[in-house]
Amino acid sequence: MREQIEAAAARYPDQRSAIMPALLIAQKEHGYLPAPVLEEVADILGVERIWVYELATFYTLFHTTPVGRFHLQLCDNVSCMLRGSEDLLRHLEAVLGIEKGGTTPDGLFTLSTVECLGACEMAPVMQVGDDYHGDLDIARLGALLDRLCKAAGQVTSAERVVVGAPGG
Amino acid sequence: MVRVTIDERPLEVEAGSTVLQAAERLGIDIPTFCYMKRLPPLASCRMCLVEIEGQRRLQPSCATAVTDGMVVRTNTQLIDETRSSMLDMLLANHPLDCPICDKGGECELQDQVMAYGPRESGFRDAKRVFHSEDIRLSPVVIMNVNRCIQCQRCVRMCEEVVGAVALGTVEKGMDTAVTGFEGSLASCDQCGNCIEVCPVGALMSFPYRYKARPWDLAETDTICPHCGTGCQLTVGTRKGELMRVRSKWEHGVNRETLCVRGRFGLDFVGSPDRIKRPLIRRDGALVAVSWNEAGDELRRRLSAVESKAAGGLASPRLPNEMLYQFQKLMRTVFRTNNIDCTSRWSTPFDALGPLLSFYTRAPLEEVIGKDCVLVVGGNVTEENPVTEYLLRDGARRRHTGLLMLSARPSRLDADARAVVRVPPGGEAASLAAVVAGLMTVAHPALPDDVPVGIGAAAAVPTASADGDPPDRLSAALLEGRSVTVLVSVDILKSPEARATLQQLTNLLRLLRTLGKDPAMQILFDRANQMGAWDMGVLPAALPGLHRVADDGARAALERVWGAAIPSEPGADFDAMLELCNNGRMGALYIVGSDPLMAYPDRTFAKRALAAADLLIVQDTFLTDTVGLADIVLPAAGYGEESGTFTNNEGRTQKVCKFREAAFEARGNLAIFDFIAALRNQELRPSTQGDIFDEIARLVPAYQGLTQSGLGVDGAFTRAAPPPPADAIFAPPPAVPNAADVLMLITGNCLFHNGYLSERSEILNTVAADPYVEMSAQDAAQRGLSDRDQVVVRSAQGELTAQLKVNRHFPGGLVFVPENYRNLRLNSLMRRGEYPCLVEVHEAHLTVGVTTAAGVGAMAADIGRGTSSPQS
Amino acid sequence: MFEPVLLRNMDVPDGHLLSTYEAGGGYQALAKVLREHPPDGVIDLVKQSNLRGRGGAGFPTGLKWSFVPKRAGKPKYLCCNADEGEPGTFKDRIIMERDPHQLIEGMAISAYAIGAETAYVYIRGEYVLAIRRLEQAITEAQAKGYLGSQILGSDFNFAVHIHCGAGAYICGEETAMLDSLEGKRAQPRLKPPFPAVAGLYASPTVINNVETLACVPHIVMRGPAWFRDIGPDKSPGPKLYCLSGQVRKPGLYELPMGISLRELVEEHAGGPLPGRRIKAVIPGGVSAPLIPERGLDVGMDFDSLSAAGSMLGSAGVIVIDDSTCMVKVATRIIEFFHHESCGKCTPCREGLNWAVKVLRRIEAGEGAPGDREQLEALCKGIFGNTFCALGDGAAMGLRAALAHFEPEFVAHIDGRRCPFH
Ligand SMILES: Cc1cc2nc3c(=O)[nH]c(=O)nc-3n(C[C@H](O)[C@H](O)[C@H](O)COP(=O)(O)O)c2cc1C
Ligand code: SF4
Ligand code: FES
Repeated sequence: MREQIEAAAARYPDQRSAIMPALLIAQKEHGYLPAPVLEEVADILGVERIWVYELATFYTLFHTTPVGRFHLQLCDNVSCMLRGSEDLLRHLEAVLGIEKGGTTPDGLFTLSTVECLGACEMAPVMQVGDDYHGDLDIARLGALLDRLCKAAGQVTSAERVVVGAPGG
Repeated sequence: MVRVTIDERPLEVEAGSTVLQAAERLGIDIPTFCYMKRLPPLASCRMCLVEIEGQRRLQPSCATAVTDGMVVRTNTQLIDETRSSMLDMLLANHPLDCPICDKGGECELQDQVMAYGPRESGFRDAKRVFHSEDIRLSPVVIMNVNRCIQCQRCVRMCEEVVGAVALGTVEKGMDTAVTGFEGSLASCDQCGNCIEVCPVGALMSFPYRYKARPWDLAETDTICPHCGTGCQLTVGTRKGELMRVRSKWEHGVNRETLCVRGRFGLDFVGSPDRIKRPLIRRDGALVAVSWNEAGDELRRRLSAVESKAAGGLASPRLPNEMLYQFQKLMRTVFRTNNIDCTSRWSTPFDALGPLLSFYTRAPLEEVIGKDCVLVVGGNVTEENPVTEYLLRDGARRRHTGLLMLSARPSRLDADARAVVRVPPGGEAASLAAVVAGLMTVAHPALPDDVPVGIGAAAAVPTASADGDPPDRLSAALLEGRSVTVLVSVDILKSPEARATLQQLTNLLRLLRTLGKDPAMQILFDRANQMGAWDMGVLPAALPGLHRVADDGARAALERVWGAAIPSEPGADFDAMLELCNNGRMGALYIVGSDPLMAYPDRTFAKRALAAADLLIVQDTFLTDTVGLADIVLPAAGYGEESGTFTNNEGRTQKVCKFREAAFEARGNLAIFDFIAALRNQELRPSTQGDIFDEIARLVPAYQGLTQSGLGVDGAFTRAAPPPPADAIFAPPPAVPNAADVLMLITGNCLFHNGYLSERSEILNTVAADPYVEMSAQDAAQRGLSDRDQVVVRSAQGELTAQLKVNRHFPGGLVFVPENYRNLRLNSLMRRGEYPCLVEVHEAHLTVGVTTAAGVGAMAADIGRGTSSPQS
Repeated sequence: MFEPVLLRNMDVPDGHLLSTYEAGGGYQALAKVLREHPPDGVIDLVKQSNLRGRGGAGFPTGLKWSFVPKRAGKPKYLCCNADEGEPGTFKDRIIMERDPHQLIEGMAISAYAIGAETAYVYIRGEYVLAIRRLEQAITEAQAKGYLGSQILGSDFNFAVHIHCGAGAYICGEETAMLDSLEGKRAQPRLKPPFPAVAGLYASPTVINNVETLACVPHIVMRGPAWFRDIGPDKSPGPKLYCLSGQVRKPGLYELPMGISLRELVEEHAGGPLPGRRIKAVIPGGVSAPLIPERGLDVGMDFDSLSAAGSMLGSAGVIVIDDSTCMVKVATRIIEFFHHESCGKCTPCREGLNWAVKVLRRIEAGEGAPGDREQLEALCKGIFGNTFCALGDGAAMGLRAALAHFEPEFVAHIDGRRCPFH
């Protein structure tokens, strides 16, 4: 982590500029950004801790608490809303048995809504990890969840349906 | 100058002024929240929006510079509506728990809503409550996030003025919250300036919270007793009990700011550690008696020692009037010049005098506005925090080139243009190198009578690896058009003090010769050290810093005092101890000072003090020295009597009484009268006001001052005329040997500066534990890590405390703050050996390798500092 | 049929590779500039082209460049605004994903013009593919000497660094972007000083949008007159329009500036979804006030839209049909701005918070008489009084919704329910 951060810092005349790239690196490595990681980043860059903390909380892509293995980030901005993202959200909440913002007990999925992902031509869109999944409907969403579960070596989403949840 | 019209009224103002400043000149009130005079504008609260002709939108007056011909309106309906709208939005989300809010009654939001707010709000939805509980950020700072209006004054104060960068802002938008790293300010300065500048009750003082309503407080303006910066502050009491301290914003050297000691460290006035009644020693034990009994005893004992030497030590924390009266008592009643105002060092007055003639008695703000400011010695961040804020402001906003030369690193180093790290005690040699650097370059510019060889001969001490070489300083000084030198009083602790003072004088002379218009001030760590010198609480100097040997000066005083003054310079405190030790000291009279704790050699001090025939201690608190006294007189403490302090700027300011003396304590002046009366003499005049007037008559620097003329910002004493140019250049000192040993130095830490602060319960809560500070390399070499318990051992003794590893610390240096009484730090020190050589080990290890004797042998190797401090 | 300029490589396989770009004449503009034009000459070319910034504000690009002091005694910087946070906008992403060299060449020429040797591309962190493609392109360009020192044998040195955003719309605001690049919380800065004089690290800095920079090589190759001849004279050039929402063929369209909004939506994008009617269109990302169906005959350029009470913004065209509740759209838009408000200034932070509360209530059928007036009052308190344009955008959008769809708001409040449910 240190080498990567130092390499990133070399791109800037001021170490403070490297806090954001450093946090991205640290988050990739640790999954999220707990206090000791923030301290380490501050120490590597030789910058004030509070500056690191400020940035870790200002930007929505940084997480100071753990997130699931797959972070389902469903866009619910206007273009996606006009194309049915609300139904997708309700569906996801039902299938995963969690509310938006929550993480499944097995730690596999965290479900969030996000502001415009900049891919409105394929609305509704959901980002999972590095990938965008567009033109989603309930069927495609189901297939995607299955793929993700499989990738994680888990049962398929159909079996994860919470009993009695509406819409399934 | 540019011409503007505001609300139809024309005005000429300097180019670069803001609309807000211009309006203020006209007495036009524009509401603000985020604006703070001494911070760069943020323009985020939008309260100060005004109409400017030709601009489509309203403009923030706090951040808009006036231009010639600008026409501004601040009183239109649109502006009324806008202000009202901003306040409506803020207030509707504000908790409105004003009855239990500390700020109720002095809240800027309340006031502005009264003045500009809507009378009714259309908002009916639930207000935001995003933190259900107050957050205790530190022992002294507590935060109610819901009340925050996001003016960011606190955060900017912390970063830009204090330089602590402890507070920050997390989240964004409506979730934005001011806090510390991971919600804690555990490792901040605890200065509370964030609390001070908070316009609402968001940041609060924990000790004050829920204690009083502002309108119940009796407020007294006074001066902080902690260090020589001399900050103005306002003490709020209720029924005589101290409730809070705040700064005065528009007044004093400090304006809005204070440091932790000033803001939170005044509760020592209520310390239970008081001397309640007079005490006399009977059968080896101190017993409480009445003032009459004490008087009888004192009269008896004093006459018994009349034939022997007498001596007196008074604290530089006492007001001028008390100090003046004390030396008058010693000189005229005890007929001795054995007078001193500190036990921590000996003042080589012969070398100090010439330096003092360069002393610039002027506002610090002006003094540090020069091109270059060189700070010599100490750690200004911890010794004089508020001075440090001003220095930072100079460096950041006024582009003053800061140059640091010290053994101790400080936070200010980060803002400095050059930092020279000297070995402790090596200031003189390094300064000589700076002088030499100036000489070589400026040689042709120098008049013939300046002995050029003197500088060139100086050997340059080895520059520390983590600092700049001294010639960086010379170069910077040469570049600057004007130069200020600020000197930490810390340099006086070293046996090399005389040489350091001489080199400083050389430097200033040279700078003057080079046309750099040098200014100089000393950064005293005691509130009235300047006054103590001015008042002549020195063995070699009379009031006005006239030499004792100066017949004319003596005669003038004798005429007014109606008594003779001994013509021989007296003994300084170190020499007084020697007199005690030799059985020659009759009465030793100590006022407000605790030498047993502060004198650098506890064993010797103890032995000597015990050897005095009669030890009289007059004090407020039960000090270590009290335990050795024969007679103890309870005196009024800080806040219990009025007087004046003269701060580092040479500014004389009123210290005011805000509570009654506790128990049977009497005013210091009354006690001096009491003692004089026991010797059938009378001190005239005897009231504080009359004494002040006498000082204003007899002490040249104070000439013409009147009590009423001190005003809210005090009054400046007058600088001495500059010294003659033909004075002799002192030769450079030998370079100290940088042996491979650890050198222990001491001094103030941020939270404490001794005697008073150690009795502050609040300061003890924020900084209860003593510590040993050293560099990361030194720690690593010894297998030590941060927070380990370590033993510091010298040839004389040892102490145990927690290790604090400091990344910025130079190798070879160990620092232990001097205020922790239980550490008995001075028992490690040997008279005249400073810095003191030590070894540091992990606490539980029994050390076999380096014996105490071994360390002593090293001391001999390094070949200095075995004699007593110079007198 | 308009011949695509910026999108000409879009459907070419491997359009993102240097070889493809070179095959289509790539980097010849850079070579030409280094060969034939002094920096000032490039600025003149761009001035003559009347190119206006594609990031939203439409500021004349050449003019902006000319504000950079010639001798600054400090390094100068070029920042490419690839934060693309404006809802409804995805053009910059597609350029970077499919034709990144077009951007790099544009940056190199622009940097040469203003005298910068370093550029940062501030690209939103979600754009993982775009980031990867751009990184790859930078590596390729370096290897071929289009980036680096003494580019193409000239004495021009230029390096491009990528700085990834981390999810904050405000970073698209140019001064907030600078603070973000400096490692601070992204909040807009006071102006003056303007970035051209004191921007990144207090050095002269030019900030341009991806699409703006991508236009530059074409202006160099084909000349300013060619550019000016496309669309209206004062607002000319090829333009990328992002179509999304309730429209048959959402996607990215390159057409001349000034094309009619109706033509764009109804002809190019295929009109409304089957069985629906268009109710309103947001022409330039959600910061742009919506235009009701009857107003669609407006030209898609800075001046025409501004005259029509809206703005071209980022040309994120969002189509809303008659099945949609406008109160809900307005609520979602204001929720977005509320979520993205940086929190610096009072009217934006607090005002949007109140607006969201009132709107949510109305949408949920809990509106009360006076709520519309309260929203109007909030718009008045916010508009023109915020620190940056984010608050303005929100207030304008809400005002437009209130004005054009008053009956829907009234129906919600009076009927105490949403008529669309
Ligand atoms: C709130 C806000 C968000 C913005 N977001 C973007 C953005 O995502 N991308 C962009 O290019 N410009 C954005 N802008 C405009 C920029 O501030 C700036 O005008 C633009 O990058 C300048 O480039 P141009 O002249 O090439 O258009 C935004 C402005 C505001 C006020
Ligand atoms: S309008 Fe104000 S709070 Fe909103 S984003 Fe701009 S500066 Fe921040
Ligand atoms: S005082 Fe001007 S905006 Fe706050």
